[in-house]
Amino acid sequence: MTPLLSVAVVLAGGMFAGIIGALTGLGGGLVIVPLLTLVLHLPVQEAVGVSLLGVIATSVGAAPRFVGTGLSNVRLALFLQVAASSGALVGALVAHSVPAKSLFLVFGLVMLYSAVMSFLPSHHDAQGAAADSPLAARLRLASRYKHGDQWIDYKVQGAAPAFGVMLGAGFLSAMLGIGSGVFKVLAMDKLMRLPFRVSTATSNFMIGITAATSAGYYLSHGEVPPLVAGPVILGVLGGAYLGAHWVHHLPVQVMRRIFAAVLCLVAVDMLLKGLGV
Amino acid sequence: MKQRLEAQRRLVTVVILRTSIGLAVFSILVGLTLFLARGALYFPTTPSGPIHSIMAYIWREAMALRPSAFLEAGILVILFTPLARLLSGVVANVRARDWLYVGIGAVVIALVLTGLFTGQGGA
Repeated sequence: MTPLLSVAVVLAGGMFAGIIGALTGLGGGLVIVPLLTLVLHLPVQEAVGVSLLGVIATSVGAAPRFVGTGLSNVRLALFLQVAASSGALVGALVAHSVPAKSLFLVFGLVMLYSAVMSFLPSHHDAQGAAADSPLAARLRLASRYKHGDQWIDYKVQGAAPAFGVMLGAGFLSAMLGIGSGVFKVLAMDKLMRLPFRVSTATSNFMIGITAATSAGYYLSHGEVPPLVAGPVILGVLGGAYLGAHWVHHLPVQVMRRIFAAVLCLVAVDMLLKGLGV
Repeated sequence: MKQRLEAQRRLVTVVILRTSIGLAVFSILVGLTLFLARGALYFPTTPSGPIHSIMAYIWREAMALRPSAFLEAGILVILFTPLARLLSGVVANVRARDWLYVGIGAVVIALVLTGLFTGQGGA
């Protein structure tokens, strides 16, 4: 593939990742890493390094929408981020001693899990938990968010177990070049019982910080080629902008399911690569 | 007083985000334009080593108007944006005298900086 065609493919891939991220909430890493490894045949470590930049761009690109809405709970994000960034530091160190085949295997499994989760029906409380847990109360994690013209108060449960989940989410993020948003949202939704929109917005804030913790590691190891990372960032930012404008005009649930089906197929491909088939 | 601090915090966050997005997009577009202007034949190298040496690399390449300088600068802008948001949050918490979250924010910043400035390979 010529350099020019590679740039065009990466730019289109980044844009697709940005649009999908804005429409379905599924992270760009799940698109970018397979694109770079399976289509452009980039070494997996470079694909992970580039993808982490794409994850930061996803977070930065979507963030202005949440400012002033209260949807992104900054206190909660900071508390959980201590665990996520600690996990990311360990993940970045470990990733360099894990064989590429094992990375493909783990990535395939995480993809499959993310795809299956988006097929399952979700039951979300509009109000969240009825009372704060003692730790959540001590940390003042309860807050409120804007819904239409109203402000809705919510309480927080399960801060300690969610902290544990974030360690694993940070570890996987750094090792696989993904935002791990699916795990973060799950912990906030199921363990902390936050309103779903608060979980997704807070997760969006967190994935950027988690990715920034480990991306520097890949950058300093020369694993972020600028001619690949630049178009990915540009594509993701453009895609997130377009996706945010299309979100009210497209059948998002249908698209989410189609994308999840595609993820399943790519996950099988990654697993086969990991198994050496 | 609390509402005024909150409004200022929001404004600073929006300025940081919009400035970062604008700078990164501009820088990467300039890099890609230079790349195309040279017939897409010159393939930018990938720098490695500590962040300060990558900054020195950007400066050297920019003086020669090479695309990699602008692509790499856009990458660094995006990379440092979450850190800038964290720093502005800590400053806002200092102003609000919320010492618990000044401490937690400082721990997160320390972790991000550890990731950015340790584990220096290559060079």
